[in-house]
Amino acid sequence: MNNLTVHPLIALLLFPGGLFLLGGGLLYEWIDRKLVARFQNRLGPRWFQPLADLVKLLAKEEITPQGVNRALFFILPVIALASALTSALYVPIAGFVPASSFRGDLIVTLYLLSVLTLCLGLAGANTMNRFALIGATRTLTQLFSYEAPFLLALLGPAIVTKSWQIMTINYYAQQHTWMAITQPIGFVVALVGLMGKLELPPFDAPEAETEIVAGAMTEYSGRGLALFHLGKNVELFIGLTMVAAFYLGGLANPLEFLAKTLGLLVVLTVLQSLFARLRIDQTVGLWWRAGALLALVQLVVVFLLR
Amino acid sequence: MEFSPDTPWQKVLDAVRRWARINSPWAIHYNSGSCNGCDIEILATLTPRYDLERFGVKLQGSPRHADILICTGPVTRQSRERLLRIYEQMPDPKFVVAVGSCGLSGGAFRGCYNIVGDISEVVPVDVFIPGCPPRPEAIIFGMVKLLESLKKGKAEVATVSEGAHA
Repeated sequence: MNNLTVHPLIALLLFPGGLFLLGGGLLYEWIDRKLVARFQNRLGPRWFQPLADLVKLLAKEEITPQGVNRALFFILPVIALASALTSALYVPIAGFVPASSFRGDLIVTLYLLSVLTLCLGLAGANTMNRFALIGATRTLTQLFSYEAPFLLALLGPAIVTKSWQIMTINYYAQQHTWMAITQPIGFVVALVGLMGKLELPPFDAPEAETEIVAGAMTEYSGRGLALFHLGKNVELFIGLTMVAAFYLGGLANPLEFLAKTLGLLVVLTVLQSLFARLRIDQTVGLWWRAGALLALVQLVVVFLLR
Repeated sequence: MEFSPDTPWQKVLDAVRRWARINSPWAIHYNSGSCNGCDIEILATLTPRYDLERFGVKLQGSPRHADILICTGPVTRQSRERLLRIYEQMPDPKFVVAVGSCGLSGGAFRGCYNIVGDISEVVPVDVFIPGCPPRPEAIIFGMVKLLESLKKGKAEVATVSEGAHA
């Protein structure tokens, strides 16, 4: 049950780092959209749909609205995508050994994944548009509500393993029973936290189309919008990998990786189609009243039974 | 696409761009003064029964994200400025689809004191879809016509005949 290793340069540009990650993100977005469409009794998009969307957005004109800080407007989508891509280096993508690893990289990865949301909030606050401003406020409010329970939920496996290194936790998970069984509450909180992180329904109040146009991204067109979309797809890919590595018995090889992450994705799409959008105050209430408490109870149980 | 020196590299790029544009038309819907009949049909077109997402059509909230402006009704004096503003807010390349008899000619409201005229008097229209209101099949046919005309390069002005969906 040993993981495979790859050359660092290939790791950065091709395999877990660059092209593979972008392709995987687009593929998972398509699976997500197709499954939701099938649950709604539709045919759904064709397999190349996310790629066509991406190329079209990149080829379109980019309008810089009046009253924004131009440098910030230009650089925020780039930072968002870059941080999402960087976090892939510490995660066992496709069951391979992470390209880079050190003690405490769990915390670094979690922060890198939050940078995208932070960039989204800043991008919304940067523009003068009122819808973008409300969207930015909601994005940041939601960030503060799900981040703590999500972190606590991922700490459970780390404490059992007695290590803050994703690679070590992955090895430990491979050799023991699935932590989804030994720590069920943490698993649920982590899974729902991932949905909050990705602003999937029912946690899509920050980009609620029927109320606030498109949330923080209202003023973005062309390249900026494409990069934000891509960043979100990559984050979906990495988030699924992390939850599967921690709670579903680790990722030892590509086959296991595919089966476990796709299984998680199916659960996510079912939840997406089942629930209607929560108001932002309901989201915050849910996370702090239920999510954080449940995660804390799980942590206490882990401490007592360790 | 505006300037294309005939290098092979440029041709490949143009082909890729055109492919993406045809396969991912995001739409925004605006009612410039119609009686709501056409709007109901457009919403029916977007429901799971007809499912425009299989052509890649997605309804967007923000004009900044959209490629196609689906506009219904005659243009009233009040909504003329709004229609123009929404059109200006869309990034290039952008296309306009006029849905319903009123959008084509003013329809029943032609000559009213509060009407500027049909949609093509305010913004350039690429596809006209007649009908009062047009059936969802006709709207889908009009969208497909627009995408087909994109394949030839610049969108030609195309008119969809009423019996086309039968």
